[in-house]
Amino acid sequence: MGFLEWLQNTPFGIWVGESLWAYPLFETMHTIGMAMVVGSLGLINLRVLGYKPELPILGTQQLLPLAWIGFTLNLVSGLTLFVSDAEHFWGSYTFRVKMVLIILGGINAALLGRRMFQEALPGAPPVVPTSGAKWIAATSLVFWFGAICAGRLIAYLP
Amino acid sequence: MELLVWLEHTGIANAIRTTPWMYPTFETLHYIGLSLLVGGIMLIDLRVLGFARSLALKSMIGLLPFVWVGFIINATTGTLLFIYGATSFGVNRAFWLKMVFMAIAGANALAFDVAVRRAGSDWVGADRPPPYVKVFATLSFVLWLCVVTAGRWMAYR
Repeated sequence: MGFLEWLQNTPFGIWVGESLWAYPLFETMHTIGMAMVVGSLGLINLRVLGYKPELPILGTQQLLPLAWIGFTLNLVSGLTLFVSDAEHFWGSYTFRVKMVLIILGGINAALLGRRMFQEALPGAPPVVPTSGAKWIAATSLVFWFGAICAGRLIAYLP
Repeated sequence: MELLVWLEHTGIANAIRTTPWMYPTFETLHYIGLSLLVGGIMLIDLRVLGFARSLALKSMIGLLPFVWVGFIINATTGTLLFIYGATSFGVNRAFWLKMVFMAIAGANALAFDVAVRRAGSDWVGADRPPPYVKVFATLSFVLWLCVVTAGRWMAYR
């Protein structure tokens, strides 16, 4: 018996799949976490691209806790939903595309954090995003919205 | 019920039923709209409640156009999805609960909007939202989460 088969047959995996409210509950968590991640990171990326220039770029760091809360909600709920039907998800190409997009989005967020936030000294003049930073911001938006689309389409595509 | 049956047999409903990818496309757009709508509202509500103070309250309230774009996307795709499955959505308790939550959330948003306009820019510019505005923000945050929750539950009843 493979690991994935074992996983979905653990008491926890069976409970998530069969309980009347567990699956919708974790799906709801996943949807709320999604809005938190996309809302906060979306605004940071748009700011780097030049939207609402009156917002201090370094100040947008204060949105990161919301992104982390959303990410944690989605990691926990996502793993839970995965466990309930591990073989199906693992075998789904659309699911894999979603995972790749999330990893790319995460790498981009870390790169942008390093460029915009960590290298800025306190009291330094306002940060002006380089074209490199703008590329990272633009591709991040594509990755996160792509992840939403892929996630929704797991139910329809192989 | 007759109305629901009629809706489900309109040309639009038939087009959604017979065109491949129509339903998943609207559903996906509904999620993108949800991210703009709920993501934007959460940022505004949390800012009113004191989160991310380095970002001016006035600029954050200025995110409302995103919320409106999200709302229009979701009202449109939501209506289309409803027409497609009118006879099942129309008798779905979670769907009506979602509509009730949306109506209350909408009334609350209207009250918030009136409070912003009536203030001129007094508390907005000074970044001192009065307590009753914080109540609106808290209610808004909770109500929109209820809308999402009821919406998700429509698939399960």
